[in-house]
Amino acid sequence: MARVQNIIFVLTFFFVYQIEAQSECVKWEESKPSYELSASRLHNYNVDKSSFGMTILSVARNAYYFFISDLDGDNCAFDPSCSAFYLQSIKETSIFKGTLMFADRFTRDINFFKGMNHYQLLPSGKFLDPANNYTLISQKISF
Amino acid sequence: MAILNNIISTFSQKHLALLLIILCLLISSAEYGQQTTDKINYLSPHNRLIFGNYLYADKDYLRAADEFKEYLKVESSDTVQFRFANSFFKIGRYTDAIDNFKNLFFSSSISNESRLMYYESNFFLKDYKTFRDLAERDDYLPIKFQKEIERLKFITYFFDDAFLPDQNLFLRSFPDSMQQQISKFYQLKKYPKHRSVTTAVILSTLIPGAGKIYTGEIGDGITALISTALCGYLAVTNFKADHQFRGWLFTGLAAFFYTGNIYGSAASAQIYNARVRFNFVNEVKIFFDQRNYLLPQIDF
Amino acid sequence: MKTKFLIISFYFFIAFVTEGQDLLHSQFEVADNLFNNHQYFDAITEYKRLLFFDSTKTYQYEANYKIGECYKAGAKFDEAIKHFFIAEQSAKNDSLVFDSKVQIIRSNILRRTTDRAFQLLDELEKDEKFKDRIDEINYWRGWTFMFADDWKVAARAFAKINYNSELRILADQTEKAKVSVTFAKVISYILPGAGSIYTGKILSGLMSIAWNLAAGYWTVNAFTESRVFDGFVIGELVWLRFYRGSIKNAEQFAIEKNIDVANKSLRFLQNEYKGIKP
Repeated sequence: MARVQNIIFVLTFFFVYQIEAQSECVKWEESKPSYELSASRLHNYNVDKSSFGMTILSVARNAYYFFISDLDGDNCAFDPSCSAFYLQSIKETSIFKGTLMFADRFTRDINFFKGMNHYQLLPSGKFLDPANNYTLISQKISF
Repeated sequence: MAILNNIISTFSQKHLALLLIILCLLISSAEYGQQTTDKINYLSPHNRLIFGNYLYADKDYLRAADEFKEYLKVESSDTVQFRFANSFFKIGRYTDAIDNFKNLFFSSSISNESRLMYYESNFFLKDYKTFRDLAERDDYLPIKFQKEIERLKFITYFFDDAFLPDQNLFLRSFPDSMQQQISKFYQLKKYPKHRSVTTAVILSTLIPGAGKIYTGEIGDGITALISTALCGYLAVTNFKADHQFRGWLFTGLAAFFYTGNIYGSAASAQIYNARVRFNFVNEVKIFFDQRNYLLPQIDF
Repeated sequence: MKTKFLIISFYFFIAFVTEGQDLLHSQFEVADNLFNNHQYFDAITEYKRLLFFDSTKTYQYEANYKIGECYKAGAKFDEAIKHFFIAEQSAKNDSLVFDSKVQIIRSNILRRTTDRAFQLLDELEKDEKFKDRIDEINYWRGWTFMFADDWKVAARAFAKINYNSELRILADQTEKAKVSVTFAKVISYILPGAGSIYTGKILSGLMSIAWNLAAGYWTVNAFTESRVFDGFVIGELVWLRFYRGSIKNAEQFAIEKNIDVANKSLRFLQNEYKGIKP
C-alpha cells in the first residue's frame, strides 16, 4: 500500500511537471548549490558615497543603527524599515520631498490596523512598502 | 528439385558449406546495404527529424529546435521550418520566433499560418504600439486571418494608454457572445474608477486624514487625524502652561504629521489608481488567455 | 549439414543484432563523453536520442540514470528525481533499484526537502531486500539530518556505522558549539543584555544594559517628580522598547550564532570533505 502511495505521489509530481515548464528555455550549465543555510538579514552599514549629502545621511543612519536600532529589536512592520525608507526617499527625490514621504510612512507605521491595507506580505512577515511607490510619479509604482 | 539434387551431389560437404557461407554473406550485405544508412546514422537528417518531432511532442522545445535546425541545414521543409519557429514561440523566445516565421511568408504553402504566428509573436513582445503599426501593413497580413489580426489590434488598446477608437468600431470585431463583456471592458478602460489626486489633497488639507479615507485607506486616515489632533492639543496645552520647549516640540510634530498626511493622500490616490489599472489589465489578460486571444491553434 | 546451416544462419542473425547494439553502445559512449566533459545539457540530448532509438529498451536504466545525474549536476532536482524514478522502474536487479532510490534521496537532500528524504530512507530500512546495505542508509540519514540542521541525531546516525568516523566527530562538535536560544531569552528577561553577552555580542549586551538602566532611571525619576505623563511616555517609548529589544536580540543573536556554527561545518563538508557527498 505504501509503495502504491509512493508511486501515486511521484507520478503526481511527474504529471504536474509535464503540464508546467517541462521545456527548458535556455541551455544551462553545471551548477553547484551551496550547502549553507540562509543567514538572517542584518542591517546594511554601507555608506552611500554618491554625493556629499548622501554620505552624511548614511553615516547618520549608521550611527542610529549602532546606538539605537540594533538594540531596540526589529520593530518595523515594513520592508524596507523606516530609516532605510527615509534614505531611499531622499535618494530618489530630494531632502524636502523625502522628509514628506517619511512623515507619511511614519503615520502609516503607527496605524495599528495596517494589516487591513493593500500591502503585499513578504515571507519574512513584513509588509512590502518601497519608496518608489510614493514619489508621485505613477510610472514608478509597482506591485 | 531433381536438378537441384544433382547439383548438390556434385559437390562435397565442404564445398557446400563454403557456398552457403558466401551466399549468406551476399544476402546479408545486400540487405545491409538495402537497409538505409538512416538506421545506422542517428544523426542523419531523417533521424534528426523523427527525434526532433518526438522531443517537440514531449514539450522539450529547445532540444527539438536544435534538431530541426540541423535538419533544415540539409533539407528544406515548410512544416519543419514552422515547427522550428513554433518551438521558439513555445518557450517565449518571441524575437527568434518572429525571425523564423518570416522565412515562410513567401513561396510557402503555409504562408497564412506563418503570418498569423508572426503577428501573435509580435503581440506577446508587448510593444503594442509597434504591433498596431504592423497590423496596418497589408503586405504582411495573412489573407485568411485578417479578422483575427484586427481583433488582436483592438485588444492591445486595453493594455496601454493609447486613445481608444470608437466603441462601435471596436465591438464589431468581436463575436456576438462576447459583446457584453468586451463592452464592459471598453467602458472600464474609457472611464476607469479612479480617485482624484486633487480632491484627496484638498480633503486632507481641510480635515487631516480625510483624503486617505477618500482613497480607501481608512486606518491611515484615522491615524493621521488622531496624531495631528493630539500633537496640536499637546502643543496648545504646553504653550498655555508656559512650557516653551515642549510647546514648540509638539507644534513641530503636529506640522510633521499634517504635511505628511497631505502628501500621503496624494500618493495614496495615485497608488489607488495604479491598482485599478493593474487589476483591470490582469482581468482582461485572464479573460483572453482562457480563450487563446480568440486565435486558432495552429500546428503541423 | 542442416545443423551447420542453422548455426551459420544463427551467426548472421546475432551479427545483425550486435551490429545494432554496437551502434547503441557508440551512442551511449558519445553521451558519456559529453557527461564526463561536464556538458550536461548536450549529454541529456544524446541520452534521450539513445532512448528514442533503443527499441529493445536495453539502455532504459542506464540512460535514465545518467539523465538524472545530468539534471542533478545542473541543480534541476525535480527533473533529476523524475528520471531516477524511471530508472528505478526499469532496474534489472535490486542493487540497481537501491542505487536509484539513493540518488532520489540525495536529490531530495540537495533540494532541502529533507522530510521526503527521511520518508524514503525509512522505507529503504524497512525493506528486507536491502538489509545488508544498512550502513549506506545510515550514512545518507546522517547527511539528511545535517542538512535539516539536527546535528545531534546526525552524529547518532554516523555512530551506528563507525563511532570514530570523521562525520560523527564533526556532527558532535557542531552540536556542542551551538548555544541555547531558550537560555539566552530567559536570562535576558532577568537581566536585559545578558542574553546578548552569552551569545558573544558583548558590546551590544553592555549597551543594552546601559540603555535599560538609563531609561529605568528616567522613568522612575519622572514618577517621583509627579510627572506622570512623562513617566508613562518614557516608560513605554524608551524603557519597554529597549527591554523588549534586548530579549528579541538575545534570541536573534543565538539563532544567528547557531546558523554560523552550522554553516562553518557545511562549508567544510562542501569544500574539504573527501567522502561521498549528496
